[in-house]
Amino acid sequence: MTGSRHGKNGLYLEGKKLKRTGFYPAFLAGGLLSAAFPVINLAVRPESFLSLEGSPFHILMQANWQLMAMINVLLVLTGACIMYHTEHSGNAILKMSSLPFREGSLFLGKALVMASVCAVVLLIEAASVLFCTIHWFGEEGMLPEVLIGFGFSFLMLLPALLCSLLIASVCKNMWVSLGIGVVCIFLATMLPKDDFVLSLFPFAMPFQEISGEIHKLLQQVPETVWKLSAAAGAESALFIVLEFVFLKVRRWF
Amino acid sequence: MGLASLFCVELQKVRRSKILLIQIAATVILWLPAILNADLNFTMQAEGISPEHNFFIQGFLGMTWLLYPSVMVVVTVLLNQTERSGNGILKMLSLPVSTVRLCLVKFFVLAAFSIVQFLLAAGMYFLCVGIVSGMQGYDFSLSAWFVMKEVFVMWLTSIPMLAVFWLLAVCIRTPVFSVGIGLASVVPSILLINTRAWLIYPMAYPLFAVRSEYGKLAVNLTIRQFQILPWLPVAASITVFCLLLSCICFGRDVRKGKE
Repeated sequence: MTGSRHGKNGLYLEGKKLKRTGFYPAFLAGGLLSAAFPVINLAVRPESFLSLEGSPFHILMQANWQLMAMINVLLVLTGACIMYHTEHSGNAILKMSSLPFREGSLFLGKALVMASVCAVVLLIEAASVLFCTIHWFGEEGMLPEVLIGFGFSFLMLLPALLCSLLIASVCKNMWVSLGIGVVCIFLATMLPKDDFVLSLFPFAMPFQEISGEIHKLLQQVPETVWKLSAAAGAESALFIVLEFVFLKVRRWF
Repeated sequence: MGLASLFCVELQKVRRSKILLIQIAATVILWLPAILNADLNFTMQAEGISPEHNFFIQGFLGMTWLLYPSVMVVVTVLLNQTERSGNGILKMLSLPVSTVRLCLVKFFVLAAFSIVQFLLAAGMYFLCVGIVSGMQGYDFSLSAWFVMKEVFVMWLTSIPMLAVFWLLAVCIRTPVFSVGIGLASVVPSILLINTRAWLIYPMAYPLFAVRSEYGKLAVNLTIRQFQILPWLPVAASITVFCLLLSCICFGRDVRKGKE
């Protein structure tokens, strides 16, 4: 493999490795499950939501996002553990590292595959929320608002995604990485929501949401949204750097 | 081999698994916010619950809702993967030990880890009571008998859930599904405890039990109460069904030469 083809091949290879692990059906099922929350909530007790004031998108996110985000984070964590479990079992990762193949591209390839699968999951959820706004609230023009909201959610999911991949790549045993991840997610649910510094914890970020009136959002984006987005970008970069440092340092032992 | 010696063998296998570290870390994270937010316990007049009871209930609500079920899923992964790596399961199955016993003993190990988790939580609770009482100048202590009784009830109600997790881990060969379904099944329990459907949803039992205790202690709240009668037969049949099925499935794919 020549250097220029690393990136593309890495992505293709990582995608293909997951073919028989059930990774894709699991994400699809998870997406459908979390997309079911708002629909079921509205179908069972419409009166408690339809009477509320404000934008339908905001009402839906207020009522359902914490649980939907929980499903998303758990999916990301499980996915990351499985991705590296296939590498660690049978010492496949040692064989990978003896190939003329940069180890960092393994991580980046996995991250890209996972990010694209997460984008699909978020799109399913967005479609479900959009369906609810049209079917129950009778609002037709919510699409831009929903897209911006879920775009932000995607950005917020990235640090957790990269962090759990980093943990999974460091720990050889799946239960260790899974256990650390579960504890981190639990910690995220215990952190107070109003403290800005604490909300920067990578596993707490996916629980953030923006869902205001779209014209207001476009005119003046709230300051916290900027800050959170910048933090998500910085944390993502940090985890990638940490993974590369880990790959370098590991050789010394 | 008798069940007892098999049990010891299984414990030996997970000796170096570091799972205890994860369980301890989880317990510390569970109680640390409770110490930091201890003053909130005095603002519960509307619910009509005393501060010491509130401190106890809130901590265990947090545990039974997410932490405890998900740690147990992790333990099932541990029990399964130690066996699968290096084809240990193949060697176990070639020994003159009945597979049913092997499967049951592994389930008992899972139950033992759940006891450890509850004991850690209870121990940490008593420690926190001491710290918080000193910090706030108010006696948060409850009778040890009451605490241990409640903890035992919580553990007892969680057995059907453990059986379901064990069934998932044994019968579903692809780890992504057994782990994914296990973790994802925990999330809806917070919705289901408000409906009648909790009765057939084992993942909601411990949470329902704690919440019903909350309703009993908080005089101003009306929360659906835990009733033994429709619950016990349902829970027992779920447990027996899951254990039977997992005993039948245990090692089947290996025996058929799929791995």
